[in-house]
Amino acid sequence: MEKFKNSAFVKKVGFNRIVLIGVLILMYVIFCVAIKGFLGSSHLMGTLNYVYFLGFLSLGVTFVIATGGIDFSIGPVMFCCALISGYCFGTYHVPMAVAVILCILVGLLFGMFNGYLVAYWDVPPFIVSMASMNIAKGVASIFTKTQSISWPRAEEAGGWFRSIVKVGEFPMGLILFLVGAAICAVILNNTRIGRYILCLGSNKEAVRLSGVNVKKWLMLAYVICGILVGIAALFFVATYTTVQPNYGDQYNNEAIAGCVMGGTSMAGGLASIGGTVIGVFIIALLQEGILALGLAKDVQLIITGVIVIVAVYADVLARRRRK
Amino acid sequence: MEKTKKKSVLSLFSNQKYIVILVVILLAAIFMIASADFRKYTTFVTLLDMSYYYVLMGIGVAFPLITGGVDLSIGTGMVCYALVGGYLVRNAGVPVIVGILVALLFGIGIGALNGVLVAVMDLPAFLATLCTCMITRGLGSLLTFKSTVPWPTDKQPGGWFHTIFKITLANNTKIPLGFLWVIILTIIMAFVLKHTKFGRYVIAIGSNKEATILSGINVKFFHIMAYVVCGLFAGLAAIPYASAIPTIQPGTGAGVELDAIGGAIVGGVSATGGSGSIEGTFFGVYVICLLKVGLPFIGLQANWQQVITGAILIGTVMIDIVKKRRAVATGQAVA
Amino acid sequence: MGEEILRMEEIDKSFPGVHALDHVHFNLNRGEVHALMGENGAGKSTLMKVLTGIYSKDSGKIIYEGKEVEFHNTREAQDAGIVIVHQELNMVGDLTVAQNIFIGREFMSGIKINDRKMVEESKKLFDRLHIEINPTEKMSNLTVGKQQMCEIAKAISHECKVIIFDEPSAALTEKEIDDLFTIIRDLREQNMGIIYISHRMDEIKVITDRVTVMRDGTYVGTLITKDCTKDDIVKMMVGRVIYEQPKEKSLVPDDAPVVLKVDHLNAGKMVQDVSFELHKGEILGFSGLMGAGRTETARAVFGADPKQSGDIYINGKKVEINSPEDAVHHGIGYLSEDRKRYGVVVQKSITENSTLACLDDYISGIFINKAKEKEAAETYIKELDTKTPSADQLVVNLSGGNQQKIVIAKWLVKNCDILIFDEPTRGIDVGAKNEIYKLMNRLASEGKSIIMISSEMQEILRMSDRIVIMCEGKKTGELKIEEATQEKIMDKATRDIK
Repeated sequence: MEKFKNSAFVKKVGFNRIVLIGVLILMYVIFCVAIKGFLGSSHLMGTLNYVYFLGFLSLGVTFVIATGGIDFSIGPVMFCCALISGYCFGTYHVPMAVAVILCILVGLLFGMFNGYLVAYWDVPPFIVSMASMNIAKGVASIFTKTQSISWPRAEEAGGWFRSIVKVGEFPMGLILFLVGAAICAVILNNTRIGRYILCLGSNKEAVRLSGVNVKKWLMLAYVICGILVGIAALFFVATYTTVQPNYGDQYNNEAIAGCVMGGTSMAGGLASIGGTVIGVFIIALLQEGILALGLAKDVQLIITGVIVIVAVYADVLARRRRK
Repeated sequence: MEKTKKKSVLSLFSNQKYIVILVVILLAAIFMIASADFRKYTTFVTLLDMSYYYVLMGIGVAFPLITGGVDLSIGTGMVCYALVGGYLVRNAGVPVIVGILVALLFGIGIGALNGVLVAVMDLPAFLATLCTCMITRGLGSLLTFKSTVPWPTDKQPGGWFHTIFKITLANNTKIPLGFLWVIILTIIMAFVLKHTKFGRYVIAIGSNKEATILSGINVKFFHIMAYVVCGLFAGLAAIPYASAIPTIQPGTGAGVELDAIGGAIVGGVSATGGSGSIEGTFFGVYVICLLKVGLPFIGLQANWQQVITGAILIGTVMIDIVKKRRAVATGQAVA
Repeated sequence: MGEEILRMEEIDKSFPGVHALDHVHFNLNRGEVHALMGENGAGKSTLMKVLTGIYSKDSGKIIYEGKEVEFHNTREAQDAGIVIVHQELNMVGDLTVAQNIFIGREFMSGIKINDRKMVEESKKLFDRLHIEINPTEKMSNLTVGKQQMCEIAKAISHECKVIIFDEPSAALTEKEIDDLFTIIRDLREQNMGIIYISHRMDEIKVITDRVTVMRDGTYVGTLITKDCTKDDIVKMMVGRVIYEQPKEKSLVPDDAPVVLKVDHLNAGKMVQDVSFELHKGEILGFSGLMGAGRTETARAVFGADPKQSGDIYINGKKVEINSPEDAVHHGIGYLSEDRKRYGVVVQKSITENSTLACLDDYISGIFINKAKEKEAAETYIKELDTKTPSADQLVVNLSGGNQQKIVIAKWLVKNCDILIFDEPTRGIDVGAKNEIYKLMNRLASEGKSIIMISSEMQEILRMSDRIVIMCEGKKTGELKIEEATQEKIMDKATRDIK
């Protein structure tokens, strides 16, 4: 076992990630065996549909958790983005391209709001999250006059945006998600932003005393998250068409679950985009499998809750060992 | 002789507790002036009816907040306990009193779970309770087989529990009895916080956990108890909730915790722990409830309340932070 | 003075790499105030920690009230009547004074805490000590001095026979110190044994009966206070054989340009009107005892802490430094005292730490040029002879000395001209120490200017070209290395006997 752990391949990919991939494969096999008809493209498609928007949410929150903070306003903010920009398209008849940009912009604004309060005012992140979450819900509701918004179908005017998910039968969304993840990984591991975010998440004061403007970079982590949430919103409506106000809470937990499962530490400083991606797949597959089993969504909620507790506790133990 | 600051009337008002009372009065006044409908007695009763479960949740969550933590599972928890209790009444034929007891016990159980996760396993409070929030949401739905659950109405057998909160007189006026209970509970819990060992140590843990441990106090026990009390009150809140909401739906309840937590913080509970009062929480929650009920009367959609609550929450915390920064800068406090 | 209440014999205690206590003696009589003096690191705190059960001794005997004892924790020592008033306060800020004093042992009436009785008992305690503090006041509203008085009251409420004061006057005003002494005299009259740890010469003279001096973990001797002079004590504190040759003569020319000038710097109580100059190529030693304000001065110059007033000039030009970012921009680097907490990001690699202060120089386009980074890190690994298998090694896996080298590397990669070393060799073994000294000398000869804060006399005398001495927030002296001696430095580092 030790030899396996120390082999070059394992070291490169990461032991945790290999375990996760193993879990993913195992889950898939179990589902295929236990559920008639699970093997096949429809369930695969169902899983992927879930992966796209959840994946971008998870990627976003990974940056925030890497700084040692948290953002559980991402679900409602995602809906807020989709609602506001969708409303503008439907009622004010702005061109689709503008709606798309607007969607991401709303996410960006929330990211700036959250990041500013956390970085420059030292407001505890969970309070900012709570307030932001409800402000997002409220603003969206007010803007759309509590109506739910449906984005155009593929054949309708403006429906071209759906090609981010599917071009014919080709899962464009998967490609875009993986590309997005790759870009995030590059940002996190190969740019200044990523370096500062990871270091300040690990030891903020040491980074400050090295002459770095930690406030700026801390806020940027939340801004990046906001942008990714805006992108997630696009994938959500491209897949599920309709968004309702006052929704979105459950996706918070699932996004955080995917991130934490993947090896990102709640304490900050340690983050893995690859792990997040695999974690998101696991959550999405879980949800699809549970649906196929005829079990309620509730089972998935409970399981996800337990998974996060286990993952974070494992992180707590690992941290104690590291000390 | 050490010069003790004379408690002038002015310094009294720098205490958040008293500012909140002012705000409640001000808001009520504004709404009453702006809308004739708001002045009606029935509005008053409606306001109180929907306030009970918020106040109870607020009282409960004040304890984890004061320890420097939080409990985000109170909203979905309350719904879950109400669902399970009501399901047993409706489908298993147990008497209503048993249904109520089940709700309370369930609340205590989840509270204990939260306590262990935070105090023993060292998980961040917001995360641990976010997870139990998900878990209770799932459980509530699962255990009732996804059905919506109506508790007995006041005409049906077992409907007596409604009279805890509201008595209908012969001429159809309704007396909001529940207000009395809520006030009594506030007074009791205020006493607990200020004058019992449990309350004292909850404050100490939030203020300086290390020093409290060094004083030989069993910090883990009291830390867990703070969450148990919170769970108990979430269970308690399930009862007026069941009375107010004719049919309880699974999957609801998320977002309600903001109003309770926001109410506590507006009422003076510190976001970082160590200080706060139950009386303040009482009034803070009523600020939130007043906004919820009153805004529609002046033409603003209910959703404005969400935005305003969020803004008030952040504003309150920011003011607190400014005060702290000023104290450090003038050398009055150690950073 | 009464009979002996406490005797510590041949106390020996070692930690990995350091012999903290070497056959130390100490005894205490009832009704006596016995001072325990010594430089930082002399072993005073360690000895008291052994006494009160925080550390366990390796060998030796503790005889208390005629019986041999061994305490395993502070509770046991407390129950036996030995109480210590720590330097760092352990008070719960949001509770009142009375509530703090009786925390954990509240008076109850049923389930209700009897706050009134606690206030009464607190008042009695304060009366006994002749202190004027309102027991109903919230603890965080009190000054640090008053909080310390409460700490003392809390200690006394434990029915003790021996009280240890660990640097009690560090945070007190003149008036509060007078009050403290009145309390101590009272306690002495009540036949308690009092151990008074302090480095303040004048206080020792005023309040104590005997003085025991420790040095480098050994027991040097005990004097009767009224029969000795400050010089006697100083000689005991520093009278070590210096096996390292102090720097004989500075090679820095007298007309070397002034690279850093600090003028009338004020930053709270610890930095009061401090002014000094740093010349090019010189090593300026900052000497003084704990609490002198040297670190605070450095941090204020570096922009890490806010300052109230003062001007900083670099190469003759006035500069605005309000944050570490500004300081680094102007070419100042700061190696903090606690390198694990503030110097390095331990969970990151050597490479990542090395370029942290100047990451902008390693960016091509928007990406970090990792090859260039690694090269830089490896250059300094070689130059500083850092023991590590590779530049990718996580800093947490390095030894203390090597971690320090990473911090130094960070500032060298940035190419800072002015370096502030705060206790550069603390917790580092002798071999690594010498390497760091060699390095500092080389940097100075290459034209870099260094401020070296150190509490080790050997180090100060060996490395400095000039020495600035601070005492309680003020600069009390400046010496050229040619005229510096241990006694002169210690004299300026301690307060005068009035």
